[in-house]
Amino acid sequence: MPEAGWHTYWRNPGDSGEAPRVSLSSDAPLSFGDIQWPVPQAIPVAHLVNYGYEGENLLMIPVDVPATLSTDEVSVSAELSWLVCKEDCIPGNATLQLTLPVAASSSASAAALLFEKARQQLPDDKWLSGQLEINEASVAVEIALPAEMTSTTSSQWTLFPFPSNLIQHANPQYFTVDEGVLRSVIDKSPYWAGDVESINWLLSDGRQGFYVSTALAGQAHSGDAKASALALWDILGLAGMALLGGIILNLMPCVLPVLSIKALGLQQTQESKAVKLGFIKLGYPLGVLVSFNALAVTMLALQASGEKLGWGFQMQEPSIVILLSFLFTFIALVLFDALQVGTRLAGIGSHLIAGQGFGAQFFTGVLAVIVASPCTAPFMAAAIGVALVSEPAIVLVVFNALAIGFALPLTLLVFSQRLSQFLPKPGNWMVTFKHMLAFPMLATVAWLCWVYAGQTSHQAQFGLLLALITFSFSVWLSGRLHRAVPKWICASVALACLVLPMYLTAQLPDANQPARSITDNAVPFSKQALSSLIKQEQIVLVNMTADWCITCKVNEQVAFADADVRAALSAENVHYMVGDWTNKNDSILAYLNDYQRSGVPLYVVYSGTQSKQVLPQILTPSIVIDAINQATEEIPHE
Amino acid sequence: MNKYVLGFFAFIALSFNAFAAITIDKPAPQFTLTDSHGQEVSLSDFAGKYVVLEWTNHLCPYVQKHYQSSNMQQLQTKYTEQDVVWLSIISSAPGKQGYVDADEANQLTSERSAVPTHVLFDPSGEVGKQYAAKTTPHMYIIDPQGSLKYAGGIDSIKSADIADIAKAVNYVDTSLSALLSGETVDKPLTPPYGCSIKYAG
Repeated sequence: MPEAGWHTYWRNPGDSGEAPRVSLSSDAPLSFGDIQWPVPQAIPVAHLVNYGYEGENLLMIPVDVPATLSTDEVSVSAELSWLVCKEDCIPGNATLQLTLPVAASSSASAAALLFEKARQQLPDDKWLSGQLEINEASVAVEIALPAEMTSTTSSQWTLFPFPSNLIQHANPQYFTVDEGVLRSVIDKSPYWAGDVESINWLLSDGRQGFYVSTALAGQAHSGDAKASALALWDILGLAGMALLGGIILNLMPCVLPVLSIKALGLQQTQESKAVKLGFIKLGYPLGVLVSFNALAVTMLALQASGEKLGWGFQMQEPSIVILLSFLFTFIALVLFDALQVGTRLAGIGSHLIAGQGFGAQFFTGVLAVIVASPCTAPFMAAAIGVALVSEPAIVLVVFNALAIGFALPLTLLVFSQRLSQFLPKPGNWMVTFKHMLAFPMLATVAWLCWVYAGQTSHQAQFGLLLALITFSFSVWLSGRLHRAVPKWICASVALACLVLPMYLTAQLPDANQPARSITDNAVPFSKQALSSLIKQEQIVLVNMTADWCITCKVNEQVAFADADVRAALSAENVHYMVGDWTNKNDSILAYLNDYQRSGVPLYVVYSGTQSKQVLPQILTPSIVIDAINQATEEIPHE
Repeated sequence: MNKYVLGFFAFIALSFNAFAAITIDKPAPQFTLTDSHGQEVSLSDFAGKYVVLEWTNHLCPYVQKHYQSSNMQQLQTKYTEQDVVWLSIISSAPGKQGYVDADEANQLTSERSAVPTHVLFDPSGEVGKQYAAKTTPHMYIIDPQGSLKYAGGIDSIKSADIADIAKAVNYVDTSLSALLSGETVDKPLTPPYGCSIKYAG
C-alpha cells in the first residue's frame, strides 16, 4: 500500500506517469476481462495533473469461469507492472501466483469486504452520451445528465478523457449546467493530432462517476451541410410537385383558351411541312425553358445580393415568414377573384402564338410565359417564394420542372394532334377550379403562421392573423371599388398591414435564443454597423456564435451572463454585437476568414480605430471585463 | 421563461498557467543557458543546423530506460555524427530529483558514454516552461531555420520497460531521418511520456 502522498494511475495517467498493467493467465480455460477502474482523482503534481488514486485502491478484473470446469483447483498467475509516484516515481513489477479452489457454490473470501468497497468506487454501469467539439485551442463537450445528477450542486465536476493527449490536464475545466445539460470547455492539448469520430470520458461529480461517449458533433462549419442534407428523394419530390404545378398552369382561365386555339390551329395546318421538323417543334418548349431559367437566374441574383446586403432569405427569419404568409394570402385572394389582375393582357396571347417557324415557335414559348403571367402569377409567386429560401441548385430544379410541366401539353399536341381530343374544353369549370386552388394556398398560410408562433409567441401570432385578415379585407374592398382614391387608400391599408408586423417582430426579443437575449443591448452583427462604430471611436465587442456551438454556449453562460460583464457591456460607449452563424451567412464567413478562422466562437474587442484584440476561445468574466477596460483606456478622449 | 442557469467553474490545479504554447512549423523559443563546462550556450549559436532538445533527469525511471539500454546514446551518436546539435537540458530545481552540478553532469555523461553536444542547466525552469516541457524525457527537434519540427515523446510505447524499446517506433529517429533526407515529419506531435519535470516551486 502506497504511503501518504504517493499515487498510482488511472487508465489515462494524465500529464506524466503510467497506468498499471496486468496480464493474467491460468492453467484452466478462464477468460479475463478488462480492468474495472474506480473513479480516479485529479492529482496536482507541481505544475502537472495526474489522474489516479492516492493510497490504497483495488483494480478488479472480471473472470469468466466455464461451468464445465472439472478440476479441483485453478492456478492464476499475474504479470504486473506499475508506477507509483509522489513527485519522484518508482516503477515496480511482479509476477504473482494464486491458487483457488473450484466449487459449485461461491463463498466469500477474506478479501470480500475489500471487493465490496471497491465496487462502490466504480463508475455507474450506464453510459451517457454526448457531443464533442474540437476547436483550434479548446475541446468542448455537451452531455445530457441523468436525473440523479441534475440536482447535484457539486462544484467538483471533472471530466477525465480516455486519451492522454486530448486536453491540457492541468488547465481549468469550465462547466455549466442548464436544464439537465452539462457543458464544458477545456483547453486542447498541443499534442492532439487525432481525427476521431468519438471520444470516451469519465465524468465525476466528486461522488459518483459516469462513463460518457461523445460523438464529434456533426455541425456545419461551413453552410454547405444544408445543401447536402437534402436527399436526392427530396429533390425529386420537389421536382415532381413543380412539374405537376406546371401542368396545372395550362388549366388557368387565361391559358387554356389560348391553348385550345393553338391546338385548333395545329389541326388546320396539319399538312404544313415545317411543323413536321422536330427542330421547329421543339421551339415552343425551348422558349418556355429559357424564360423560366431567366426568371430563376434573376431570383438567384436577387437572393445573392440580398445576402450581401445582410438580409437572410431564410425561414429562420420571422420577417421572411411574415412576408411569405402575406404573399400566399394574396395569391389566395387573387385565385378567389377578389382582385382582377391584368385581364387586359390575356387577350393578346391568342394571336401571338399563331406562327409556324422555329423563331415564331420559340417566341411563342417566351410570350406564353409572359402573356399568361396574369393567370400564372399566383403559382409563379409560390415558386418564387420557394426559390428565395432555397439553395441555388434547388431553385434551378424547381423552375425547370415548372417549365417542363408548363410546356408539356402543347408540345405533346404539336407532336401528336390526336392528343387534342383529351384537351378539356374551356368553360365555367375553370373558374371553380381556380377558386379551389386557393385553399392549398390558405393551408400554406396556416403553416407559416404556426412557424411564426414557434419563432415568436402566441400573442405575436394573433397579431399576425389580425393583420392578415385586415389585409384580405382591404384587398377585397379595393377589388370592389372603382374610383382611384378609395382604391389607393385600401392599398395603403393593405401595405400597412404587411409592414407593421414586420416592424414589431424586429422589436421582439428572439424567443429561440434565450442565451443571447441575456445581454439586453446586443445588436446583430453587420459589417457596415461595425465599421461605422469603429470610425466613431466606440468600443465594440463582436461575438460570433452559433446554436450548435457548445463552446459558445458555455461562454455565454459563464462570461456573458455574468452581472459585471453585462454592466461593462451596457456602458455608454460600449457596443455588443452578436453574429449568429447557425445558418449560412456569407458576411459572417467573410469576417471569420479575416481572422483566419473557419468556425465559431470568435470574440474580438475593438477600441475604436486604435486597436483590436482577439479574445481566447474560452472566456471568463474577467477576460471580457479586462479587455473592455483596456479598450476603454486606449480610446482617445477629446 | 423559467430558465435557470447554474454556472460555476471547477478548477483542477489552478496555480499554474504560465506555459507557453508551442506550435509546429513556428519559430522555436530562443534561450541562453549555461552548460556543464560553464559556457553560455544560445539556441541562435546553432542557426543553420538541426538541433535536438532532450529534457532529462538521470534518476527518472523513464530516462534510465533509454540510457541503460543505450538507446539514447545511440541516437546521440548517430545524429551528432551527421552534424546535428544535441542539447540535453536539466530543468530540475536545486534540491529536487535530477538536479546536478556541473561536475556531476560531466561525470554522468562519461559514465553513461553519452555524447550530447552540451548538457544545459535550467534550474529556474524558465526554458522548460517556454517549451511547455512536461516530462523526462521530452524531445524537440528544431530545423536549421529555427522552426520547431517535432515535439513529444521519444517513442511510441509509454513504459519504463527496456524490453519495449525494440517494439516501439522511435519518433526522434524517424523524424530526424525524414528531415535530413528532405522529407516532412510524419507525426510532428506525439504525447510525451515519463516522469514529471521537477520544476522549482
